[in-house]
Amino acid sequence: MNVYLKNMLRFCIIILLQVLILDKITLRWWSEPSGFPVFIPYVYPLFLLLLPFETPVWALLIMGFILGITVDSFMNTAGMHAFATIIIAYLRTNVLSALLPRNLSEYDGQHPSIRTMGWMPFLVYSAFLIILHHFVFFSIELWNLSNFGFLLLKVVASAVTSMLFIIVYLLLFTRQSASRV
Amino acid sequence: MRNFILFVRRFFNLILFLALEIVCVILIEHTNTLQGNDIISSANMVSGLVYKKQSDVVYYFGLRKMNDSLVNENARLRNEIDQLHSVDTLKDSVVHRKLYSADSSTHIVKFADYVYRTARVINNSTNASDNYITINRGSRDGISKNMAVISGTGIVGRVEHVSAHFASVLSVLSSKQKVAAKLKDGTTGYIIWDEKQPDALIMIDVPQQVKVKKGDSVYTGIFSIFSPDIMIGTVLKTVVVKKNAMQLIYLQSSTNFHNLQYVYVIENKMMIEKKIVEDSSGKK
Repeated sequence: MNVYLKNMLRFCIIILLQVLILDKITLRWWSEPSGFPVFIPYVYPLFLLLLPFETPVWALLIMGFILGITVDSFMNTAGMHAFATIIIAYLRTNVLSALLPRNLSEYDGQHPSIRTMGWMPFLVYSAFLIILHHFVFFSIELWNLSNFGFLLLKVVASAVTSMLFIIVYLLLFTRQSASRV
Repeated sequence: MRNFILFVRRFFNLILFLALEIVCVILIEHTNTLQGNDIISSANMVSGLVYKKQSDVVYYFGLRKMNDSLVNENARLRNEIDQLHSVDTLKDSVVHRKLYSADSSTHIVKFADYVYRTARVINNSTNASDNYITINRGSRDGISKNMAVISGTGIVGRVEHVSAHFASVLSVLSSKQKVAAKLKDGTTGYIIWDEKQPDALIMIDVPQQVKVKKGDSVYTGIFSIFSPDIMIGTVLKTVVVKKNAMQLIYLQSSTNFHNLQYVYVIENKMMIEKKIVEDSSGKK
């Protein structure tokens, strides 16, 4: 399938998944007695993580902005998601070139996945960017550092849940593409 | 000039990055003021339509519960009507105003001030630090900013953004707004909400000597945008603050925010007139 068409389709699927299903799930682990934060898993940055290796940084930035603003318009957060998404879009190339043995331009026509990178590098790559995204987003949302422990707890718990959902998504969709090839 | 162009080409990515981040900061800053921007909110056409389609599907699963609560509400309203019939309004009240010009009978002012409109909830959040609800009524249906929203069982919030067919409501589960409240014996205070205790509403500014029992009801006060005597919740526990001899009262909200389906939007017809009077006396 054409790369542009494929990514456009993935954009729609991930946005709808995030907005229609994941936003409706309220996760509250041991919430009642200890006041553990309530949170939603944010899976939509996965779209940025899965763009092809040789995507230039300016294209990543613009797509990150569009992605963030779309999610913002559904969640009434005006710019907060976009802010966090642009940061990880900017850092994506650096993280990838630090983790991969060869130069990025040598991976022609491939996109980051468990198949092209291997389990460990891919998990480190996505976990780093997801935790960064969540940290930035939640600090903007709370907007005070007086309660730093609460913020960290919220970031870690959400990042772990988001990563679980991302792994499930990848397991579901990579198997399919492997059988097609 | 040539150096400048080289500089831009060299750092193009960094400049684009910073520019986009500045756009985001401006957007965030604009919405955090009360005016808000209506473009990027779920009251806009596209996201409104998506949420409406989804709610059309989910709607059917809640019909049984909906019926039960409507029947309960009907029963309560019937009771109230019966009680009103037995009151001699001409004798008990001081101020009277005609409801319609053709109507020769008079009514107590309090009952003629508010107009109720029904709306269906098409999107709902309960776990952000400021929670919003999107409803399927907009300016075409007479909704405007700062109208109060209640459900069959209690208060819900205040209208913040309005488009032609949708409106988004800032719910009580938000750090941005306070609601005036009163206890059974008439003591007034304010209701706030804290993200760290998402299941409870907190009533502040209540003097320590006021005795409150667990299970007492709390209602909206007279000086709020809500019509008075709408249920807010029941008392869970009280905590005394030593510092200023006040107590905090934790409330169990009487509205279940997790499965809201129908709400009423209240228009206060006297609001504008009241505002004009208050403003003109403030100028002196």
